[in-house]
Amino acid sequence: MKQPLVVLKDVWKIYQMGEVKVPALRGVSVEIHKGDFVAIIGQSGSGKSTMMNMVGCLDMPTKGSVHLKSHNISELSESDLSTMRGKAVGFIFQQYNLIPNMTAFENVMLPLEFLEIDDAEAEKKTIEVLKLVGLENYMHHLPSQLSGGQQQRVSIARSLVTDPEIILADEPTGALDSVTGKEVIETLQRLWREEGKTIIMVTHDLNLAKYAHRHVELKDGKVIDIRENKNMKKGDTK
Amino acid sequence: MKFHKSFRHALNMVLHAKIRSWLTILGIVIGVAAVVAIVSLGEGLKQDMSSQLNMLGGDILTLRAGASRAMMFGPGREFGGSTSASTEEVVLDNKDVQALKSVSDIKAFDTQISGRADIYYVAEKGSATVTGVDPATWAQITTSEVAQGRMLGPADSNVIVVGGRIADGFFKTQLGVNQMLTINERVFRIVGILDDSSSNVYMPINMAYEVLDDKEKGVYDTIVIKVKNEDEVELAMNNTEKRLMLSRHVTEKTKDFSLSSNQQSNEARSEMMSSMTTFLTAIAAVALLVGAVGIANTMFTSVLEKTKEIGIMKAIGARNSDILLIFLMNAALIGFIGGLLGAIFGTILSGLLPSLMGSTADGMLSRLASGSAVSIQSIVVALAVSVFIGMAAGAIPAYQASKLKPVDALRYE
Ligand SMILES: Nc1ncnc2c1ncn2[C@@H]1O[C@H](COP(=O)(O)OP(=O)(O)OP(=O)(O)O)[C@@H](O)[C@H]1O
Ligand SMILES: [Mg+2]
Repeated sequence: MKQPLVVLKDVWKIYQMGEVKVPALRGVSVEIHKGDFVAIIGQSGSGKSTMMNMVGCLDMPTKGSVHLKSHNISELSESDLSTMRGKAVGFIFQQYNLIPNMTAFENVMLPLEFLEIDDAEAEKKTIEVLKLVGLENYMHHLPSQLSGGQQQRVSIARSLVTDPEIILADEPTGALDSVTGKEVIETLQRLWREEGKTIIMVTHDLNLAKYAHRHVELKDGKVIDIRENKNMKKGDTK
Repeated sequence: MKFHKSFRHALNMVLHAKIRSWLTILGIVIGVAAVVAIVSLGEGLKQDMSSQLNMLGGDILTLRAGASRAMMFGPGREFGGSTSASTEEVVLDNKDVQALKSVSDIKAFDTQISGRADIYYVAEKGSATVTGVDPATWAQITTSEVAQGRMLGPADSNVIVVGGRIADGFFKTQLGVNQMLTINERVFRIVGILDDSSSNVYMPINMAYEVLDDKEKGVYDTIVIKVKNEDEVELAMNNTEKRLMLSRHVTEKTKDFSLSSNQQSNEARSEMMSSMTTFLTAIAAVALLVGAVGIANTMFTSVLEKTKEIGIMKAIGARNSDILLIFLMNAALIGFIGGLLGAIFGTILSGLLPSLMGSTADGMLSRLASGSAVSIQSIVVALAVSVFIGMAAGAIPAYQASKLKPVDALRYE
């Protein structure tokens, strides 16, 4: 069988809060394969974001191992981690996290600049992904000149611009109304179906979770359930 | 990230900076402007002085009443006279003149008095240093030269020779030869304009006694002496001193006059000037240092403020070195902009200062007035220094920024 894209093996994350130790993850083991659309669900404080941050190489496990594309992230150098963050994964945040004084275009192109891609190629790619999310007419707007849904689409475009295999979305619709939220989810689903991206999405909205084909449920830092979504099979329509 | 891209991001950061950053830049501007202005003035001064030094023969001695003191200012350039009396007033008078006449090493001497007086041209008024000179010998002894007209001659009485600035810049209209100035209710005709930028007025000493109220007739402030042989100034000085001590009934210990050579006073003056320049430069350097602290402060705040952005950049693939470079260049740019503006202001200031000082004061300051020298070199150095200061001040904040953990940075609000 093919090697999974993401492997979490008995992952612990313990935050030290002064004297007290707060375990955010307590022995999480999950495997995610190429082409999966996984929804991570669970109550607030169950450790969803913590888990997500480790898959995105933003944080390190206290114990256990996280393998991303067969690399143990705890063993990677700082600069390899940067490359991983830039190339292998694309992050979509609840609060969009765009840089305020850069236009949509500049925001989307930024990851390519860190990868030192040639300008001509980078610009071409940037326009391409902005078109993909339907923002070709808003390229030179600042984030403050865009609606929440548009800003989130800019951040989706940014996560796509380096052609990563994995898209990580931490409550991508959390700050949006239900209609706009649905649009964003549908964009993600399209990426999954049509572009073959692997998508990991955190949500506590079960209405949105149903777009994923597998649900991983966390509670108090432990995986309590992994189930397939019968209505949404992998490679369904295509 | 490529270098030019980092540079663009750093520049963008400066351009989008809050007023606070511009105030920081202002700190550097002031520091650099002060340094550039002072260094330029000092440089101009040095050039001016070395040209003066070349111009002045070493054959001039200056005699004053009173115990010896450092002769900082040349003849005719002291502030006020030296008529201050201690218990018994010590003065130079005809007895000394007679004594000098008997010294064989002396070629000629010029008895002088000088003081401040108000001068009027039509309805305008100004204050200048009036020096009364012996019209018979002054032209022969002084190192000044006329640009227009002539020097004073033995037969002159109601005429004056004026410094370059009196003719040009002192009054609204430019003055020429044969124009009239009123000094203490007496009318004088200008016969010569000196080839300098001083605001001194020279007139026959007999007239000066009339014009300068507090001077007692027959008493001189200074006697300027020209020796016969320039190579034997020391000897002439010793002989003159001995002769004067004899006539004034004083010994080496109770000596109540001072005799200095131009060489000496020039050296003393240039020494004082250079230490003054050093002192002012040190003050300006402190201003620059304060500016540097300002940059460091702004950089720390800016890193704090941009924590979230740093987190975002890291989450999308920025290396530590990318962040470091962006912030370091941001600091360098603040320094550069500050340095550039500072150099410009400093240049303007150093051009302005001499004329400001020249019209309100003379004496020593009119030496400054003769100009400043802003060199390309000093501007390049100022820029390099301020860029360096920016980077040095920004180094620690930039390093801190680069070491931020992505999760922590993203969490920051
Ligand atoms: N930096 C931190 N320092 C201390 N405790 C933390 C830190 N980050 C997370 N925690 C704790 O770890 C636990 C899990 O947090 P996490 O953010 O992963 O929850 P979550 O499932 O994403 O919740 P939500 O749905 O509200 O976003 C919480 O109890 C939280 O308080
Ligand atoms: Mg969360």
